[in-house]
Formats: sequence, C-alpha cells, structure tokens
Amino acid sequence: MIDFELTRVGTPDAAVQIAAATPTAQQGATVRFIAGGTNLIDYMKLDVETPQHLVDINRIPDLAKVEKQPDGSLKIGALVRNSDLAQAPEVLAEYPVLSQALLSGASAQLRNKATTSGNLLQRTRCPYFRDLAYAECNKRTPGSGCAAIGGYHRNHAILGVSDQCIATHASDMDVALMVLDAVIHVQGIKGNRTIPIGEFYKLPGTTPHIENALEPGDLITHVTLPALPETKQIYLKLRDRASYEFALASAAIVMQVQGGRLRHVRVAMGGVGTRPWRMPEAEHALEGQAPGEGVFRAAADAALKTARPHTDNAFKIPLAKLCMIRALTTVTNA
Amino acid sequence: MSTITFTLNNSQVTVDAPPMTRLLDLLREHLHLTGTKEGCGEGECGSCSVLLNGELVNSCLVPTLQVQGATVTTIEGLGEHTHLHPIQQCFLEEGGAQCGICTPGMILATHHLLEKHPAPTLDEIREGLSGNLCRCTGYMRIFEAVQQTAKLAEAGK
Amino acid sequence: MAAKESIVGSPALRYEGEAKVLGYAKYIDDLHFPQMIHGATVRSKFPRGRITAIRYGEGIPWDEFTIVTWKDIPGENTIVHLLKDHPCLVQEIVNHPEEPIVLLAHPDKALLRKAVDAVTIEYEPLPAVFTIEESEAPDAPVIWNSEAGDSPNVFKTYLMEKGHVEDVWATADYIIEGEYSTGAQEQFYIENNGVIAEYSEQGVTVWGSMQCPYYLHHALQLAFGLPEQKCRVIQVETGGAFGGKEDYPSVIGCHAALLAMKSGRPVKMVYDRMEDMAATTKRHPSRTRHRTAVSKDGKLLGGEIEFAIDGGAYVTLSPVVLSRGTIHAAGPYNWPHLRIRAKAVATNCPPHGAFRGFGAPQSIFGLERHMDLIAKTVGITPEELRRRNFLQPGGTTATGQLIKDPIDLNGMLTRALEESGYHAKRAEFAKTNPTSPIKRGIGFATFMHGAGFTGSGERRLNSLVAIEVDDEGKPEILVSSTEFGQGTNTILCQVAAQTLHISYKDVRIAQPDTDRVPNSGPTVASRTAMIVGKLVEDASHNLLTCMRASGLLEETYTPEQFCHAALAYKQQHGELRATARYQAPDDIFWDDDKYHGDAYPAYAWAVYVAEVAVDTRTYMAEVKNFWALQEVGKVLNPVLAKGQVEGGVAQGIGYAIYEKCVWKDGVMANNQMTNYIMPTSADLPPIHVLFEEVPSIHGPFGAKGIGELPMDGPAPAILNAIEEATGVRFNHCPLLPEDIFDKLANPTLISADSSQLQPAVAGPVFSGTTP
Repeated sequence: MIDFELTRVGTPDAAVQIAAATPTAQQGATVRFIAGGTNLIDYMKLDVETPQHLVDINRIPDLAKVEKQPDGSLKIGALVRNSDLAQAPEVLAEYPVLSQALLSGASAQLRNKATTSGNLLQRTRCPYFRDLAYAECNKRTPGSGCAAIGGYHRNHAILGVSDQCIATHASDMDVALMVLDAVIHVQGIKGNRTIPIGEFYKLPGTTPHIENALEPGDLITHVTLPALPETKQIYLKLRDRASYEFALASAAIVMQVQGGRLRHVRVAMGGVGTRPWRMPEAEHALEGQAPGEGVFRAAADAALKTARPHTDNAFKIPLAKLCMIRALTTVTNA
Repeated sequence: MSTITFTLNNSQVTVDAPPMTRLLDLLREHLHLTGTKEGCGEGECGSCSVLLNGELVNSCLVPTLQVQGATVTTIEGLGEHTHLHPIQQCFLEEGGAQCGICTPGMILATHHLLEKHPAPTLDEIREGLSGNLCRCTGYMRIFEAVQQTAKLAEAGK
Repeated sequence: MAAKESIVGSPALRYEGEAKVLGYAKYIDDLHFPQMIHGATVRSKFPRGRITAIRYGEGIPWDEFTIVTWKDIPGENTIVHLLKDHPCLVQEIVNHPEEPIVLLAHPDKALLRKAVDAVTIEYEPLPAVFTIEESEAPDAPVIWNSEAGDSPNVFKTYLMEKGHVEDVWATADYIIEGEYSTGAQEQFYIENNGVIAEYSEQGVTVWGSMQCPYYLHHALQLAFGLPEQKCRVIQVETGGAFGGKEDYPSVIGCHAALLAMKSGRPVKMVYDRMEDMAATTKRHPSRTRHRTAVSKDGKLLGGEIEFAIDGGAYVTLSPVVLSRGTIHAAGPYNWPHLRIRAKAVATNCPPHGAFRGFGAPQSIFGLERHMDLIAKTVGITPEELRRRNFLQPGGTTATGQLIKDPIDLNGMLTRALEESGYHAKRAEFAKTNPTSPIKRGIGFATFMHGAGFTGSGERRLNSLVAIEVDDEGKPEILVSSTEFGQGTNTILCQVAAQTLHISYKDVRIAQPDTDRVPNSGPTVASRTAMIVGKLVEDASHNLLTCMRASGLLEETYTPEQFCHAALAYKQQHGELRATARYQAPDDIFWDDDKYHGDAYPAYAWAVYVAEVAVDTRTYMAEVKNFWALQEVGKVLNPVLAKGQVEGGVAQGIGYAIYEKCVWKDGVMANNQMTNYIMPTSADLPPIHVLFEEVPSIHGPFGAKGIGELPMDGPAPAILNAIEEATGVRFNHCPLLPEDIFDKLANPTLISADSSQLQPAVAGPVFSGTTP
C-alpha cells in the first residue's frame, strides 16, 4: 500500500471539490472516495488501487437512509449498508429481488460493511487483475494485454467481452438494480444529474479501465427505484458452493402474469457479463407470451446468442440458459 | 499518523497509527491483541472477524479511520481464564475448536448470529457462519456448540 | 486408586482448548522477537530452465537488504527427505514454477514485497512436462534421472504380487477394465506456513508451524553443516496442517535460518495465501487402471492394477505416498491373484506432498468406483459384490498379511446401510427420479486404512518417548508428536492419566522442542494415537515400576499419594523420568523387496454412505446426507474422534465435488481463496459418525489410528451415488458442474464413451476401455 493523504468530508460539495481533478471512479484514480472500504482496502493492499488521496465520505449526513418518495419511488442513500438494505421493509415488500440478490452475495461480515455506492462500483475479481505478478492486464495497465484470455478463465465473462478484457462483473446487487430500472443520482462539478443504470456501466471495448459513466468529481449520492406495479420477482444464483461465492450465472427477473400472459418482463443476468447484463432479447421473446418451457428456452437462446466464450468458460452458455429457464419457471409458478 | 480513540473490549484506547492501517494490524501490532487472526487478508475466510459497533466485520478490510469513536469487541473481550463466555465454554466442550486458528472469528460470528437469532435453526446457523471458513471440523461440532449455547441461554432465562 | 470412571474414552476437554477459545494461544505470526526482520522469497516464473542472470532492479535500497542465494549455504544445498535431489535454493537449473532462487530480508514488509518484484531472473528455457501422460511419453524430455537406475522421469516403482494373475484371465467370466483419476488438492490450513529463525554462535533455532520438528532439525544439520546439538526446532501452536506442514517446513525453515545467519537478526517468514497456495505442496494427482477377472457369481478372481502418481519436480515424499497408495489399492477384499504396478513420475510442477490419506484416497477412489462398475457388469448390487469379496478374519490381504482381528465387514456394511436407510432410499429414488428434474442417489464405499508407518517404517523410526515429573509432582509427557488440531495433546494426556491412575488435569505435555523432547517420530501416518500412544502407556508403566521399585509407591494409591511419592523420588534421585522405545512386535514381518508381509500393524475399517442430489437443470451436485461408520479399535475421546471424522469427511466432500487445482504449465492458476472452492458451513450435509470398537493389541487401550481414514471414503462414495442418481459414470474427481453438464447434456458424448455400456450389451467379456 502506498502513502496517501486522507480527508474526511461532511458534505457532498466538499467531496466533489477534492475529487474534481481526477477520474475518481476509474482505474488509476488518484483520488478515491471511501465508504465501506471492503473492495478498496483489498485492492489497495494488493497495490491494484493506488490513490494518493482518499476522501472518507462516511460522515456525510443523510446518505445512509432508505426513504419512500412521494411519487412512490424508493430512495436509497449511497451509504446504506448492504445488510440494512436487504432487510429494509420497503425492499422486502416491493423489491424482493434486490433483497434476495444482496443476501446471496458475500458474507455477513462483508454485507455489514459494504454500501450501495460501493457495490455499484465494485471491481472485478478477475485473478489476473488482482495479482500484480501478472503484468498483462488492460484494465489495470491499459495496453499491457490480457492474461485471462490465454490463462485460466473458467469464471470469466461470455457477454460484452472484447479482445482486450473478459473480466466478469462481480456484483449481485447491480443485477437486481438492472431489472428494477434503478436511477443513479450523482452530484458532480456541474451540479446534480441522474444516470439510468442501463447507461451506467461501460463495455470494456478498447478501454477496459473505464468502467462507468462517472466523471471526475462525481459522487454517487443515492439511487432511486421507480414505483413498481405488483410483480413477481426472483433472484436465482448458481455458484460453486452454497454461500460466500460469486455467481457462475445468476438471473434477476421481474414480471407479471396477466390473463395467462407474461407482461412487464425484465430479465438481467450476473456472472456472465462484463457488466450486469440486461437482456432485452429475452424480454422481447417473453413479453405477451404464455409461460412455458418452449417460450423460456427461446428467450434464453435469444439472450445468449451474442455470447463469446473462451475455452474454459464455454459451459457458461448452457449454464446461463439453464439458470434463466429455471428462474423463469420458478417465478411464474410462484 | 493520526490519533484514534475508540472503545476496545469495554476500555477506551488511544493509538497513533496511519489512518489506513487495517484494524487487524492495529489490534495485533499496535495493541498486541493477537487473538484476532489473519487467514487470507482479502475478506474471504473470516478469521479476522471482530464486532464493530456490534456488527460483525472482517478486520482485515476495515481501515483504522473508520474506528474513531467506535466500539470494537475482539475475542479477548468476551471471556477470560476461569471465566469463559458461554459461547467459548460450549466451543470447548463440544469440540468446536480444533487447530484453533479460525476459532476467535468463529466465536465472534456466533456471537453476532445469536444476537440476531437467539434460537437459530440449523439453516440459520449454516448460513450465518458461512463467512467463516474452517478446515478442521467440517463445522458439525461448531453447529453443536452454537446450538448448545442457545439452549443454555434459553434455560438461563 | 483414582476415581473409577475411565479417562480413556471420556470426552476430556481439549488440552489447549481454553487458550484457543480465549484467543490466547500463540501461533507463529503472533510472536515477535526484538530486532526481528521479515524474510521473503524470489521464485522462478519458469517451469524449467537454466538461469542466465539475476538482476536487482532500480529503485530499491539494496544495501539495506539481506540477500541470500545458494552460495550462502554453509552446508549442503539440499532439502533431504529420501534423496538429495531437491535443492534448498536453485543453483543453476530451475525445475518447477515457484522454485525458490533468492531470499531477501528487511524490516519493512511492504518494501520487501516491492523488492521481490524488482528482482528479475533470466532463463534459457528447457523443455518441460506437466502431467503423468506427458512424463511417461516415449519421446518425453528427460527432466529427472535417477542415480539408482530407474527409468528416466520415474522417482520410484513398486511391484506387488499375490498368486499368479496371468493364470486367471482364461477362467474369468468377465474381464472388466476401468481407468480412474484424481486431481491435486490443496490442504488449505487456515494458517499459512510460517517460521521464525535465529542464528548465533551457539547454533540455529527455528520456531514454527509444523508437524515434524525432527524433519526440520535434520534439514538444518545438512544445510548448515552443523552437529545436531547446534540445531534446535520448536513447534508453536499450529493452525492446521493435514500433511501440508509435514515436509514443507524444512524448506521455509532452512530459508529463514539462512537469512537469520546472514543478517544476524531474527527473521520471520510467513507466507501469504497466494504464495502458500502456489508454492507449497498439494495432494498428488493420480491415475489408476484396473483390469479385473470376475466370475459370473461376482467373485474377484484376480486383477491387475496400475497406479501412477504425479510427484512434481523432486522426489520429496513421493515414494512413501506411492507405497501407501499401492498397498491400499487392493482395498478390504480377498484377491486370490493380484498384481499391482505402481510408479511415481516426475513433472515440472511444484513437488506434491503429504495430504491426509497419503496416496490412499487416490487408489481407493479408483478401486471403489471400479467395484461399482464390476457390480453393474456382473448384474448384482454394489452391496452384494462387496459381501461376496470382503476380507474375513483368517484371510490374507493383498500383501499376504493374515487378518487376525475379529473384524466383521459384513456386519459393518449391514449397520451402515441400515443407519442410512440405504435400501428404502434406493427404492424411493428409483421411483421418483424418472419424473423429477432432481436426480437423487445413494452410494457407498468400503475401505480400510493402515495405521502407522508402512512395512518396516516404524522399526526404522525407532521412536522414543519420555515422561518426566515436574517440581509440582506432575508428570509431563515429552514427545516430538505435535498438536495441530487433531488432539495429540489431549489423547496422550488421557492415556498417561489413565495408566498412572491420576487425574487428566494433572498430566502435562511439553511443547515440542528438539532440545527437550526425544524423537517420537513425525506426526503423520495415523500413527500418533496407536504408536506414540502405546509408547506413552509403556513409559507410564515404566514410571510406576520405577517409583514402586524405590518403595515410595504402593501397589494401590491415591492421586495425592502418587504426587507425594513422585516428589519424594525426585528429592532422593534428582529427577524422575521414564522412557519407552518402540519395539516391533515379534509377529510382524515385512519384506521391502517383494512388498510382501504385514504392511501395517493394524487397520481401521470403514463403510461410508453418501446421499446426493444432482439438479439436471443446473448440473450441480450436492451431498445431502452422509454416514461414516468406522471400526477404530477404541475411541479414546468421543468428541475429538467425531471431530476428526467429520473434518476428514468434509475435506473428502471437497475433494469429490468442489476443490479443483487448475494448472497452467505447472503453475497453480487458481491460487486465491476467491477461486479455490472450499466447502463452507452452508455446503456440508449432516455427517453422522458411527464407531465400532475391536481393540487392537498394538495401540493403547486398543486404539488404532483414525486421522487419515475419513479422507479415503467420501469421494468414491459420492461419485458412486452420483452414478446411482444419474446413471452416468464419472471417473474423475473433483467432479464439477461443467463435467456433469458435458456428459448429461451431450448424449453423443455418453454414447461415444464406452464406459456407459450396459452389462447386457457387454456380454461375458466386457471391457470398459475399448468400444
């Protein structure tokens, strides 16, 4: 871990000011906001993250609340702990997919520390990204190559990959937020703005070190979840063991069944993409159809059509399809 | 360097340490409380678990700056020689500790679990302790120890 | 006399348990010495090559560092276990990735890490091999050549023969072939390898996390060219080992000691998780080939077994691992004719080493999977096949050892199947599986595990234990046998207390320190309870004899009288000490050349039953329930014994369906906790532990070893159950979801794989390997 300066701030303005000159939420950031720190501390210890200036945002008031808004939407503060969010009554009642996703992730210890905004910015667990012994990592050192493509990549992404990076997006929470059409509220140097979650994450392309739409100075203050009509929801996660493990494939689904037809279908998957992966092809294939295995299979096939596996992770294509079909079957029968 | 004051095992302590020192190192190296163990240093094994303001956390992922003014409980704060905490007594009697390296973290995880679920089901125990890896026991004796602690607490009411 | 209740067999509290639950127990990383600095290792990035240059990069204050290379080794550049092929530090040729080349020490741990990264080593690459198949290929590069004249790339071979197997093929109704393989497995002790070393005029001292202080003691004598009295090794509280701290502490211990010598300061070396996983030993990958002659009524007529293990780059313990694997390859069955050819081959992977079971889990996996194939082929149940072939008292094992103990494998099988509800479940699953997406199955494995060193090993070890009475009149056990979770401290104190007729709490056991404790042998091979326990019992008797001979102790006495007598004896004689040395039983005979005779003084016997569910929608297999029945002679401590079995079963479940070591050119590619999958508390099923006791004359109060046994059975039992559930044969562990997917989702693969042939198709002569 390198030496750095630490500032504690009490207002979003102060945080934004300090961070204005640097891409705070991208690889190589010289200024980093720290909230729970579960991800950042780990990567600082490994020297993957080497900020010269840390800005502790934990004391900014009002960012740790979950509040129902007059328009029916839910406002989730950036500093709400994952464990608290998973148990929030509003989430349990209206957005159970989010609660399920949160509880399927990490361990009690980590959920007690990890925050909403930290989870949105969670870095990949690609072992080559984590380990400086591998010089090749385009995400860590742009232009250096990708050790994963020629290495062991069983856990790597099959969707959204480029020839520069196949690192999997690791979050469960963000997959649920994708199907809930979450809106990310950001305070930046030019004021406040909102970013729909669908536009938040960048594909690796030729710039895998740029992971999201945040600009220098940007501070995530909260996330809102639009009000939902009554829906069926599920988060299904397949992983190598029953707990405390990242997804090999996971599916978040929100839908209604009206008159025997699927309506308002939203599907996203985790563990398979370079970002949390919303699947409009599947949604299109399902919308208005009567539920049934054939329909589900067609949706899964459509969703995985663009998958690009490498040698060790080819099994993720059928696994992802199975995961989606299983989730659809379970949720429609619920 | 910054000066940090917090409540550790019911006593107030003040330490000078770099702000990003991990709580784990603060405890072990600055305060010489070596009961908190490091198994992986990356939040994957739970050996370094402590209670921070009553919540279970991995001390290898907590920077000291977050400890200012907080309450921290480590294994040393639970019991002492001739006066073991009931969880410790049950771990001892039921064989919950073998090599002992995961034991302090496991006992604190149990403490946290029993706070949330005073009479936990087996599934709650299995899920609640799944952030703490143990290679020796196969977890069965640990489950017994947790259930026994809960039983004793229920009987003592 | 002391209280009537037996101490042996009681759940005496773990000797060092209070210190562990209170967090007081001191492990190596908890110790700090004045002036202490930290050590680190620069390792090879290449599997095989000649070093052409070592460069110390810029930006590092090298003059502040202690730097050690092979040139600094005062004695021999070797870590010896059986052969001197394994250097302490590379001189010229690198033979595996992660091989230690340069050692660095500095007070600042963070700077030390940067310094390690700043050393670059240039190589002229040499061809390398990474698997058993590559190593044995006719055109394989020779990466290891024996002075003993074995074939190139072969560390050791054994040929074990009983009867005349060539005669049976013609008379067989079925000839059944199969090939089975197992992967490497990481010990995954939660405390990594670590030591602290100090060097002075008086000699070298190493404190550390380890199983075998006298192994390191010997290694230090060679590396430093010092006499034994100038080398001292002290074991401190050890956070798990499972074999992983049998031979490796000799490496890290010598390294730290070299840095201590050169720096003149105490040096601590504690690996981090990535380094420990990448660089230290793991379970040997293996391949077992069976060709078995069977009669139509399911009797084993004879068999040929080829057993091969991948030893990695140096011999280390591979011949001994191979030996145990070879002897256990025949299982608890009656083989009229058998030939086993076994070999340990060299590859350019880091040396594989000891891990609970020590070769036996590998060969037992092959045999117990093969037994289910034989049953299917002959058309009888797996249960019936075993019943028709079990060893019986009066029978002889594959090494010709006469079974003298009244073991009852049929009775054990009956009990295990009843306890697990095997028959009812089998019937139920047969009914429900066809219409359910979740396929359930129940399977089992029957096996035995020899306690103590193989063959004449114990005779060679010549173990010695002592008991000494301290100033409070309390006996203290002096052994080099170490505690690392299994319960050594507790059971040895129980044995002494029971024999001396005093309270368990009044017996002490010394910290293993080679300056103080005699060499009671290494803490391995399921030998501590039986062999060392018996010696503690003998030494306790010798102590009593000595006290009675002096007239200070009556035939019967109270614990208080014992204490008074002991103190009086000390006052008169200065010390009160008794010893016991291993004496090979008269009726134990072993021929090392022919691999024939009494392989082990005693065996523990077991039947393990696994119930599984395979979700055909996700191809994930899960163990739902597990029963472990074993005959162990005598349960010395029921809580500890249960814990040993449950822990071993958990590791076995990991071996079967979770824990995969992925290798890329000899490098472990998943050397992080995040991508090596060890079962959590949420993954393990209920483990029902059942004991039977047929006391053995070789152990204290009848006890036999149980440490390794529980590792042997789970993997074959689970894969047998998965075959029951899915109807598909899997012959490799670990078995991951993608492996199940490959076969279940691709019927073409199944039909192309001859192992799926049904017996009816196979006819009287069936081969599992030719379509």
